Amino acid sequence: MNLQINIREKLMLNIIVCTKQVPKTGNVKVYKGTGTLNRKETENIINPDDLHALELALHLKEKYESHVTVLTMGPDNAEDILYEAYALGVDKCVLLSDEQFRGADTYATSLTLSRAIEKLGGYDIILTGMTAIDGNTSHVGYQISEFLNIPLITQINDIEIIEKHAIINRLYGHEYQKVEVDLPILLAADKETNHVRFSKFSDINNCFDKKIIKMNMEDLGGTEDDYGIKGSPSIVVKTESFTHKRQQEKIDGNLDEKVEQFIDILKKHNILKY
Amino acid sequence: MDLEFSKKQLMVQKNIRNFARKVLGEWDHILDRESRPLPNDVVKLMGELNIWGIQAPVSMGGAGLDTVSYSIMIEEISRVCASTGLGVTVHNSVCLAPVLKFGTEYQIEKYGPCLTKGEKIGGFTITEPQAGSDASSIRTYAVKDGDNFIINGQKAFVTNGGTGEIFLVGAMVDDGSGKKQMAVFIMDKDMPGFETGKIEDLMGMRGNMVSELSFHDVKVPGKNLLGGTLKGFSMAMKTLDIGRIGIASQALGIGVAAYEAAAKYASERKQFNKPIGKFQAVSFKLADMKIELEAARLLIYKACFLKDSGRAFSVESAMCKAYAPAVAMRACKEALQIFGGYGYVKELPVERYFRDAKITEIYEGTSEVMKIIIGNSILSEFTDKY
Repeated sequence: MNLQINIREKLMLNIIVCTKQVPKTGNVKVYKGTGTLNRKETENIINPDDLHALELALHLKEKYESHVTVLTMGPDNAEDILYEAYALGVDKCVLLSDEQFRGADTYATSLTLSRAIEKLGGYDIILTGMTAIDGNTSHVGYQISEFLNIPLITQINDIEIIEKHAIINRLYGHEYQKVEVDLPILLAADKETNHVRFSKFSDINNCFDKKIIKMNMEDLGGTEDDYGIKGSPSIVVKTESFTHKRQQEKIDGNLDEKVEQFIDILKKHNILKY
Repeated sequence: MDLEFSKKQLMVQKNIRNFARKVLGEWDHILDRESRPLPNDVVKLMGELNIWGIQAPVSMGGAGLDTVSYSIMIEEISRVCASTGLGVTVHNSVCLAPVLKFGTEYQIEKYGPCLTKGEKIGGFTITEPQAGSDASSIRTYAVKDGDNFIINGQKAFVTNGGTGEIFLVGAMVDDGSGKKQMAVFIMDKDMPGFETGKIEDLMGMRGNMVSELSFHDVKVPGKNLLGGTLKGFSMAMKTLDIGRIGIASQALGIGVAAYEAAAKYASERKQFNKPIGKFQAVSFKLADMKIELEAARLLIYKACFLKDSGRAFSVESAMCKAYAPAVAMRACKEALQIFGGYGYVKELPVERYFRDAKITEIYEGTSEVMKIIIGNSILSEFTDKY
């Protein structure tokens, strides 16, 4: 076990960012027949919303003295996104990897992440992406905030930290809302939150020399029944790939007949009722 | 033998590709149309990302990456905005690199950090109105005057001339024996008598302020003599060996841009009820482009590999500088042909790729000069040495 417990320093913000490695959905390869994802042929990336969460963490680090830890659960190759996080300038990266974590749904994932967050010591701000592009559930942020019993705030436009509370400017649609909240909090970021920075080449050069801390089930505590597929209340029955194709029908006859047939078709599809 | 990028190189590629698309992609067309340089805030951002000093040591503010990473960076930048690729490659490989490689302690300390961070943009100049391939015929001359040199002359077609501040300048010096030889001086535009002449109205690379530079009794401190030696010619030639890898990478980037645009267009544009890419006349062109671009790429990486492993690379550097620009020109010509009339309008970038690619066959040694270098090395290899 290589678990480093943080001793909280005064006025130092402890920020933890939860990230996920996802297949680049714009260009996935799917096995014909089963409809499952060909993971070997598909490029993996940091979930785009999580990059905005990372950027928010780094932005806070520039404004206030902070320590940014990045957390991800996944197989060993999920290390790739942690090295990318190091290249963006975070302080510490933790990989939650264990055979028992496999097949977790959003509930089990949130529980695993929450336990890891608690094990990492103190925290002031937890950041997640709003939605992951693979599952599209947006559950995890909400569930972590429930497990940790802290407030969750979304649609962040601006944030200011004053002592141990945050003043957050939320933007939704064309309205602003100002929220004042005590730390610790959980913030879910999305593409409206900020623009993600580019890595410096010098940080790319040294990111692979940095250490990734690994945690497994033993480190988190609990039993096999809490994690992975066993800890997941939801069950995937079937995966199907859908395509939406424009249907074409040709109508013959004179103009009146065509109109008549056309009305019939519209009725058949519940577009016209009477 | 390993032909795979390292994880680090892959990350370099992903990051610079993202930067080029998002940031330079906002400017490439404007720079070309208006013949103006990149805005200062973009130049500054590029400094923060270590683009102006990708191979310079980390201690100096650089990124300390290898030549393959450098080539990847130039390719990706040039794929989007070739004139920015030009500014970056010249600054890195024929200004900063020779200062770090040949410079005295004073020179490295004074000019290394500001060039590495891109606080000052640099260039390198030998060419004069009447001296191109024949570098030894330059007329700019330096006369020793106590601890200083007094330099007079005029330089032509200087990349980064309009925006740069630090230039390595080739000038003839009398070494005292009556024999003249070329020395290289580090010159700062702050020096009185150093003036920027007219900015050229170019066919391509219009985002680079290529200009004339003139020197009227410019007093250059003796400690600005590069490497503290009058033997500048061999330093200049070694510098160009490095520079040529950059120009080849730039040509590759332009060629790849043309190829990708053509491949996309050929799969979308329909004539005679099918995508034009389904016609062999078009798909053969695409196939040729792909083969040649890949071959050029491997040749470039071979030169990078030799340089990174500390071996001689000047012939390989000349080979990729001779080949990649030719490949880029063919790719641009055929891409334009595939686009038909749409390739000829300025609204789309293909005609710009064509104009940008041409100069890569000319500067930092023409393709013909490259073949002289390669030919000479072949002859010396096969000449009976006994």
